[in-house]
Amino acid sequence: MKALNLILVLSLFATLFSCSKTENENERVLNLLVPAKVKGMDPAFASDKYSSNEVSRVYEGLLEYHYLWRPYKLVPNLAEALPVVSKDGLTYTFKIKQGILFQDNKAFTGGKGRELMAQDFVYTIKRLADPKLQSDGWWVLDGKIKGLNDWRDKNAKGSKVDYDEEVVGLKALDKYTVQFVLAKPFPQFLYSLAMSFTFATAREVVEFYGKDFLNHPVGTGAFMLDVFDQSNKITYKKNPTFRNKTFPSDASAEFNTPEFLADAGKPLPLVDKVVVNIIIEDQPGWLNFQKGKIDYKGVPKDNFASAIQGGKTLAPDLTAKGIRLDISPSLDVTFTAFNHTQKIFQNVNLRRAMALVFDEVKNNELFYNSTGLSAQSIVPPGIAGHIKDYKNPYRGPRVDEAKALLAKAGYPEGKGLPEITYDITSSSSARQQGEFFVSEMAKLGIKIKLIQNPWPELQNKVNTKAFMLYGMAWGADYPDAENFLQLLYGPNKSPGANGSNYDNPVFSEKFKKASQMQDSPERTKIYEELYKMAAEEMPLLYGVHRQGYTLFHGWLKNFISTDFEAHQEIYLNVDIEKKKELIKKI
Amino acid sequence: MNIWTYILRRTLYSIPILLGVALVIYVMFNLVAPNPAAILLGRHATAQQIVELNHELGLDRHWFLQYFDIVKSSFTFDFGRSWSTKQEITEMFKAGAIPSLTVSVPSFVLATIISIIISLFIAYYRGSMADKVTVFVCVALMSVSSMAYILFAQYFFAYKLGWFEISGYDFPNFLPYVALPIIISVVLEVGPDVRFYRTIILDEIYQDYVRTARAKGLSEKVILFKHVLKNAMIPIITYLVLAIPFLILGALLIENFFGIPGLGAITINAINSSDFPVIKAMTILSSVAYIIFSIITDVLYTLVDPRVRLK
Repeated sequence: MKALNLILVLSLFATLFSCSKTENENERVLNLLVPAKVKGMDPAFASDKYSSNEVSRVYEGLLEYHYLWRPYKLVPNLAEALPVVSKDGLTYTFKIKQGILFQDNKAFTGGKGRELMAQDFVYTIKRLADPKLQSDGWWVLDGKIKGLNDWRDKNAKGSKVDYDEEVVGLKALDKYTVQFVLAKPFPQFLYSLAMSFTFATAREVVEFYGKDFLNHPVGTGAFMLDVFDQSNKITYKKNPTFRNKTFPSDASAEFNTPEFLADAGKPLPLVDKVVVNIIIEDQPGWLNFQKGKIDYKGVPKDNFASAIQGGKTLAPDLTAKGIRLDISPSLDVTFTAFNHTQKIFQNVNLRRAMALVFDEVKNNELFYNSTGLSAQSIVPPGIAGHIKDYKNPYRGPRVDEAKALLAKAGYPEGKGLPEITYDITSSSSARQQGEFFVSEMAKLGIKIKLIQNPWPELQNKVNTKAFMLYGMAWGADYPDAENFLQLLYGPNKSPGANGSNYDNPVFSEKFKKASQMQDSPERTKIYEELYKMAAEEMPLLYGVHRQGYTLFHGWLKNFISTDFEAHQEIYLNVDIEKKKELIKKI
Repeated sequence: MNIWTYILRRTLYSIPILLGVALVIYVMFNLVAPNPAAILLGRHATAQQIVELNHELGLDRHWFLQYFDIVKSSFTFDFGRSWSTKQEITEMFKAGAIPSLTVSVPSFVLATIISIIISLFIAYYRGSMADKVTVFVCVALMSVSSMAYILFAQYFFAYKLGWFEISGYDFPNFLPYVALPIIISVVLEVGPDVRFYRTIILDEIYQDYVRTARAKGLSEKVILFKHVLKNAMIPIITYLVLAIPFLILGALLIENFFGIPGLGAITINAINSSDFPVIKAMTILSSVAYIIFSIITDVLYTLVDPRVRLK
């Protein structure tokens, strides 16, 4: 009786309250999910993936990644063409497209967006370097553009930043020509022009909104901000003054199919509206996806077994709903770092022994549902510098060889080794992985003590070199091996990106040389040498290169998983008729 | 003592308390916690950038000035901007307060009314099967973790039956989004509340004045509602009023799982992103709210019980 009453009460609530709004069925709406609060809409502070994606819906840069091309290829976006690069590789000259308008906004005279000019890029880059602003994206250009660091240092001392002062390496040659002169060769510079940090901002808008600029994004992009509730829902509508940009007509082999080229030549964007739902927890995100309220979503770890069969096939119940699966390797690597400032980890045989005993297959099975690709070295597949089919001679599990190496290292059966601390984050999955690591090392008689830390504390320990081992993952900032190999570059030691503080002069010398070379077979050859050194020297104990498992509904067209999601929404399409048909099956 | 004099005196007492709170916050965030500049700059930090950002954040100033900033914000409620989102913290709190209150206030009121009614009922039938079963159900309700209620209810009532929205929030059309979180909150609160109120009421029921009332021939209903409930009001008021500050702070788990952009969700996000100004502001506000509601509790005592005197 009580249960019946409860159901009656709940039914009453449901009848009273189930009056939520439904979207217009004939409107092409893209419903996205973001599993984190969005920091803000200022390109200079878009340091995390989610904020960067939101910024990219409104703002644009000189370059972008070709949507239908792998390996990743840069193509012009606001630039008319790829830049003219001087022979010494130091000067990059861009012509920008003419007639591109900023979105209408009251910050402009008469509320009408003005034309984009070369000077906007000069301003944007200076803003990134502004010492008073302390942008999150300064690292991208730190030390790269001639005179920019001097400008920054000079303005750090004054009370006001002088944006009108000229910087030698940063000039608008005319209304539509911008020139960058680098302080030293840095071929990866072009990638930075496809990152949201360098997307064009208009000075008058920044000055009009002041500190609230981050809530009032005004760019040249395909979408305009409609509602900004950064912890709940963000909606965008089509920018009516967006230029005539079309869906690509060319594609690399894997996407050169009628399915992916169905919209070739059509004006972008293909949808009318983008709704970004901020859903932090896995369960509501997963349930909303299954209800058709989200168009695509990665498979949560806890739902993997029920959604994916045999690691590759979608479960029949999901297939019946028209849901499809996309499996795509991510440009990342997981690893356990040794602290190379500590004498015991300068012993290569100890590092190799620890790597040899570690059962990577089991680790992959337990923590990645066997979906990860075993990492043989630091560079993931899909970028030049990764050696396909290379087998790291010190990847386990080969317990007997590991024991022999440990004895060679001077610690037979672990004798003479102190208790080694292993710093990890405070999540339960990190704890489980840590426990597995402890049990693997115990096979050699090595005692490991796990220390769980809140993320800031772990970061602090790494920055101050106050650890013995720590677990981490690194995702690509851009598709170049340099971005991964720099993790082992001596001068990048803590608090820089080289948290393990590995400092091998031979490695660093080769890296320095390669990092200044343009993309070429010679550079790839050096990258491959570094890849092998990073494998055999085992400065890090490698884990996996993760793979993304994304599900998307049958009505969503042109979906491709990408490591660089900026502007993805303009290429996606929604088949309204198909949606009406499939939604009935959900 | 005049009630206003009492309030003034208690308000003055709260000054050293707030200074102490500011000191604790300073020690926790400026001395014990890791360098925020290094955290904010993340994986690409350089030593020079850390120094520069420390300067921009004012973390290289004399310790007293940094402590004074916290004291100042405790009294002016000007908490500056979030390090993570760069939003005005006061604005963030204003925006988060409504969603939090739309969940916490109805659930608090409903849970309180339901719990008091159930408690009076089972106190009336104390020792009976109804009493035993209710206590058993309350203990059972308390034994299940809140996460289990949330996961089950969201899956079953929102997803399977489709009675409620799975997650999200829309104002002013918030009812479909908050109905299920309210029901869950009520279920979570009723168990401990009923046990607490039942104990208080039973303590009163065995008092001499109840026996006297019965001897006078008063009905059980009059005894319960007019005499017992009135005398039980002091502990009930203490319990209720001191719970109010926590209503404002929101329900961390429920807000996170149901995507309600309230203060609970803001707090969790601030903790996860080491957003110290927001965490500091939340700590200060909690302390201030606690102080204010403690004073209100004391004042209310005098209203419900003439024997209580303010000194």
